[in-house]
Amino acid sequence: MKRHASAILFFVTPFGVLFALFYLIPILYAVWQSLYTVKRTGTFGPATDVFGGLVQYREVFTNGPFWQSIERVFLFGIVQVPVMLGVALFLALLLDSGLVKGKGFFRLAFFLPYAVPGVVAAIMWGYLYSPNLSPFTAVTASADLLSPSFVLWAMANVVTWVYIGYNMLIIYSALLAVPTEIYEAAKIDGAGVFRTAWSIKIPMVLPAIVLTTVFSIIGTLQLLAEPQVFRSFSSAVSSTYTPNLTVLSTSAVPNFHLAAAFSVVLALATFILSFAFLKVTQRKGVQ
Amino acid sequence: MRLRARSIAILLLSTLSITACSSGGDDDAATTAGAASCAPSSGPVTLTYTTWIPNIEKVVDVWNKANPDIQVKVQTGPNGNGGTYANFFNQLKAGNAPDLGHIEYDALPSFRVQDGLTDLGSCDIVASAQSKFIDWTWNQVSFGEQGHVYGIPQDAGPMALFYRKDLFEKNNIPVPTTWEEYAAAAAKVKAAGGYITNFSQSDINQFAGLAWQAGAHWFGNDGTNWTVSMTDDATKKVADYWQGLIDKKLVSSVPPWTPEWDNAYNSSSAWTWVSAVWGANSIASGAPKTSGKWAVAPMPQWSAGEKVAGNWGGSSTAVFKTSKHPYEAAKFALWLNTSTEALTLLNKEANLYPATKEGASLPALKEGVEFYGGQPIYDVFAEASTQVKADFTWGPTMTQTYADASDGFKKAVTGQSTLTQALTDAQAKTVSTLKSQSIPVKE
Repeated sequence: MKRHASAILFFVTPFGVLFALFYLIPILYAVWQSLYTVKRTGTFGPATDVFGGLVQYREVFTNGPFWQSIERVFLFGIVQVPVMLGVALFLALLLDSGLVKGKGFFRLAFFLPYAVPGVVAAIMWGYLYSPNLSPFTAVTASADLLSPSFVLWAMANVVTWVYIGYNMLIIYSALLAVPTEIYEAAKIDGAGVFRTAWSIKIPMVLPAIVLTTVFSIIGTLQLLAEPQVFRSFSSAVSSTYTPNLTVLSTSAVPNFHLAAAFSVVLALATFILSFAFLKVTQRKGVQ
Repeated sequence: MRLRARSIAILLLSTLSITACSSGGDDDAATTAGAASCAPSSGPVTLTYTTWIPNIEKVVDVWNKANPDIQVKVQTGPNGNGGTYANFFNQLKAGNAPDLGHIEYDALPSFRVQDGLTDLGSCDIVASAQSKFIDWTWNQVSFGEQGHVYGIPQDAGPMALFYRKDLFEKNNIPVPTTWEEYAAAAAKVKAAGGYITNFSQSDINQFAGLAWQAGAHWFGNDGTNWTVSMTDDATKKVADYWQGLIDKKLVSSVPPWTPEWDNAYNSSSAWTWVSAVWGANSIASGAPKTSGKWAVAPMPQWSAGEKVAGNWGGSSTAVFKTSKHPYEAAKFALWLNTSTEALTLLNKEANLYPATKEGASLPALKEGVEFYGGQPIYDVFAEASTQVKADFTWGPTMTQTYADASDGFKKAVTGQSTLTQALTDAQAKTVSTLKSQSIPVKE
């Protein structure tokens, strides 16, 4: 037993140390920072940090632009996540169906956009959307995709483009893990390709879909690279467009205490939302 | 069930990673390490210097060769608001800021209010250099306080009118000398199929320069309280003027510093730009097809016959509070920003326009510039530099003020708001930010 314990310690320590250094301590530091506020005297007086209790949180909960940005990413997620995962599921089923030749090629081709860094993807799509420089000016000059009414969906398109392949790969690997006897049984029972997909494959990979949904919810709430890049060339993207942009602008003031409070609230909101989604799907019997 | 446990673990990790970016480093040990005296250090020292001046290494090499006892190590980064200021703030909080940093005039109050700057007023070499600098630049680094200096002026951004000489001549449009004439010219340019200029929606600095010329005072500091007045009469006059041009669609509103914006100049759709001296280079690199067709004239005036210029940009070299060698740092900063050797190199490598009085007579600044049809354009700026009002003060949270004003200006150019409304909102947000930072402000 004793030998066991030291083995466990040996394997857990590297993770434990990194986990503490790069997750636990920064989080505790952020929570601690968020409980402070600055006091100074005079127009250029040096600041001293004093304990402020929940003052920063009061500021967070009364901050209009922050909650508008939460609403905005919520709207974004409700539309973008189902579309992206729907397409990813469809592509995964297509690859798995045996209807496609050159499976290896398509698997790689679908996944390739994920290899493009998010910022580069945003810049590239920014060019494609540009009213005067785009290769598709016939479209972009008549409907300004960077205008307030379109820009959110223009960014949704970028995010979808980047992450479809990634999500497809997760779902596809889940499909590969389905035992082939089930397919044989279905065949004997007379199920066709579509019937197999609908009644067997999709239910079998539901856990993978749930997982990708949770990842996507988290990703949506953390949206930063795309709006930050788009901010430089779109009149519609403000400095508080998404929650994470708000955090960034606040820490640039620099108002570290308020930025920390924003982060803590955002992390909690993300956790609650993702947890609620898991709970709901589990109650429906998804295992 | 296995999946559930695992996904919750992953979820925990992922959500937590957001909080990780908000941490700013170690305690505020930095703030107490002030260096009140300005005594030379004994023995050789190595200084660190962070800037975004292109090719700065070549200039610093010259210094390092001549000063084996004061070696300077350069670190370069993105421009201030693009990330270097955020780094400085974090480094100050963590207590590992460089000795010297590149800080634009408008950001100096923000750093002073964070107690990040060494007051070089007690350094005799600095105090005796005051007369070398153009008065208003000295005012920017001393905050108008006698005996205090928070940075060495480096460059200036006096403004003038860049215009397409060929197109103005071809269409028989006189070069505007007043803003009224400029608006009249705007209508004629529009009729000829162009835009007189592009209104900068996201770089508020240009608008600040225009307001500065009109006599605006956005910020004031009487020693007890800050005042914020971004909607004073002068600013309102400027805002209403540009709002009129936007409403009549006489100006375009492509976001500045984008390929789209370069394209507007390169394809001759934008005809003028009221910009700073460093803008000469921005046009030349952004619109190479229009080489030789541009000229520079003094900035249009609010009343005929006046001679007032605005300023857009300009930087200082500041010594951070954490520096252990303020004397040596000041010595290097003075060499960098006053010696003919360094100023000539800075101008050649990075197109910096010196903040010193003598700098205006650098041989390089007397020559004709090919892109501007051989016109010795720096003469116009040398004159403008002496016409900049000295009493413009920046606020202590300019990053936030700019961001909020820009959010509002973006709404104004897309027709959802007005410039005056944007300035009113930016003022309110600035006041509340000052309060959140416990900076005394009079409403």
